[in-house]
Amino acid sequence: MNGAREKHMKIGFIGLGVMGEPMVRHLRVAGHDLAVWARRPESAAALVAEGVPLCATPSELAARSAVVITIVTASADVEGLAFGPEGLAAGFAPGSIHVDMSTIAPATARSLAARYAERGIGWVDAPVSGGGQGARDATLAIMAGAEDETLARVRPLFEVLGKRIVHIGPPGAGQVAKACNQMIMVSTIQACAEAVSLANAHGVDVAAVRQALMGGSAGSRVLEVMGAKMVERDFAAGVEARLHHKDFAILMDESARLGAPLPVAAQVWQQLNALLGAGWGREDTASLLRVLER
Amino acid sequence: MEVGFIGLGLMGRPMALNLIKAGHRVHVWSRRRESMQALLDAGAGDCASAAEVARHAAVTISMVADAPDVEQVTRGLNGVADGAGTGHIHIDMSTIAPAAAQSIAARLAERGIVALDAPVSGGEPGAIAATLTIMVGGDADACARVQPLFEAMGKSITRIGDAGAGQVAKACNQIITGVGVASVAEALNFATRSGVDGAKVREALLGGFAYSRILENHGQRMLQRNFKPGFKAWMHQKDVRIVMDEAHRLGLALPTAAATMQLFNAMVGCGLGEDDSVAMLKLFERMSGGAGE
Repeated sequence: MNGAREKHMKIGFIGLGVMGEPMVRHLRVAGHDLAVWARRPESAAALVAEGVPLCATPSELAARSAVVITIVTASADVEGLAFGPEGLAAGFAPGSIHVDMSTIAPATARSLAARYAERGIGWVDAPVSGGGQGARDATLAIMAGAEDETLARVRPLFEVLGKRIVHIGPPGAGQVAKACNQMIMVSTIQACAEAVSLANAHGVDVAAVRQALMGGSAGSRVLEVMGAKMVERDFAAGVEARLHHKDFAILMDESARLGAPLPVAAQVWQQLNALLGAGWGREDTASLLRVLER
Repeated sequence: MEVGFIGLGLMGRPMALNLIKAGHRVHVWSRRRESMQALLDAGAGDCASAAEVARHAAVTISMVADAPDVEQVTRGLNGVADGAGTGHIHIDMSTIAPAAAQSIAARLAERGIVALDAPVSGGEPGAIAATLTIMVGGDADACARVQPLFEAMGKSITRIGDAGAGQVAKACNQIITGVGVASVAEALNFATRSGVDGAKVREALLGGFAYSRILENHGQRMLQRNFKPGFKAWMHQKDVRIVMDEAHRLGLALPTAAATMQLFNAMVGCGLGEDDSVAMLKLFERMSGGAGE
């Protein structure tokens, strides 16, 4: 299919949370024709007021769209949207593409891609990193798992939503990259929390420590963003810790299946369990600091 | 008693034979027919399905690998539920997740079957010697009725609580044994690499606070470099994984078990999965720059 014909695409969107809603707006500003479906119609109210059509079912949304983008919570949610009753698969015409930007298990992504392929429907797993801020600023990092020609068709959409778009490999590969991202990020949050805790125990000014470290080899995005939250003791989410906790279950499950030891991630997982146990699941993952202080 | 037995592997076979020895009439079925032969030779009744086993016996026992297998032989096509009469008791002695045991018990109850979870500890030697430790979850009356069967297979029999409670106890057992094997292997590798005789260290420690069954039995096998299963590392990995899934669900920190699980992952990844858990020693030798053969 040539690029010019697809310049203004009919796009369906499901998952209108802190990530999804600004993504829909960016795509509309870029000239695409958007429609949405929402499990809870009230979550679409703002977009509907701006003139975005609301479909009655995922299959209806798929029937009017060349591409449907989903960004929801769990593997089971994506499976349900795709192949559940009145799911996307029932509405897609051959040649359509399901782009899933949720964080789910690589195995689920591979299996959905295979089931769609039997019906001539394309699949892209394209999890993102950058959070609500990245979605609002259209600076997300997008990690894609897809066949070359499928990705080529949706790449212009990704360029509207993000800054760094990397084709990792075939379906599922995007989710593998995302798993690596989560492992490094949350392990780093834990390391920062331990550093802040140590500085506090010494009675040293943690803001000054953070500022000094930002200029050296320990500098990182996590130290910048989550480190600041720890210093300010601002534990309001950003990204809710329960979502990282969910991601770690995926990660550790895959590592057991593959026989790959992840000793540090396993310890971080336990700290996340303790965080959830303390009832802070809906607060920011910077709360790992509070787990150490209990 | 008339009793059915499903799953005649390393553990199930000697357990079923012990039921025959104790005078019970045993009916068997196994997915792989060849694994039934020893039981048929000993006089067990030959059945073509789990349902047929349940038609012959008011109490059935399963000893299989994992929760999906238990689902299959109880509620699957030609499973126990298809052949069971009212008041039937099904005892699952496999190691599965507590949540899975609870869900299976609830589903079987809908079909008039009382389910007990009764996982065991003691390994193949315990199964052969009829000295297994049996941890039971489920209805107290049903548990009392099948007590003679438990006594034919084991020595220490404890009803822990309601459905799933047996599996919780087994999960605790797997935390302690998994971590125990790792710590004994670590200590013996440390002794050897320090140029000290590991056998002497073990002998000395058996008299003190570090004494444990693991140090005694598993430690001995490590020193003899006898890595034959026993209890395969991949099965121990599976059991610890059940524990970690539960911890995730409950919001519990199990830092030591988590570290041990990674060691089992490493064993499986480097081809030691089919060895006994005591091959953890080989892993540590390799991690410390040794050959670990």
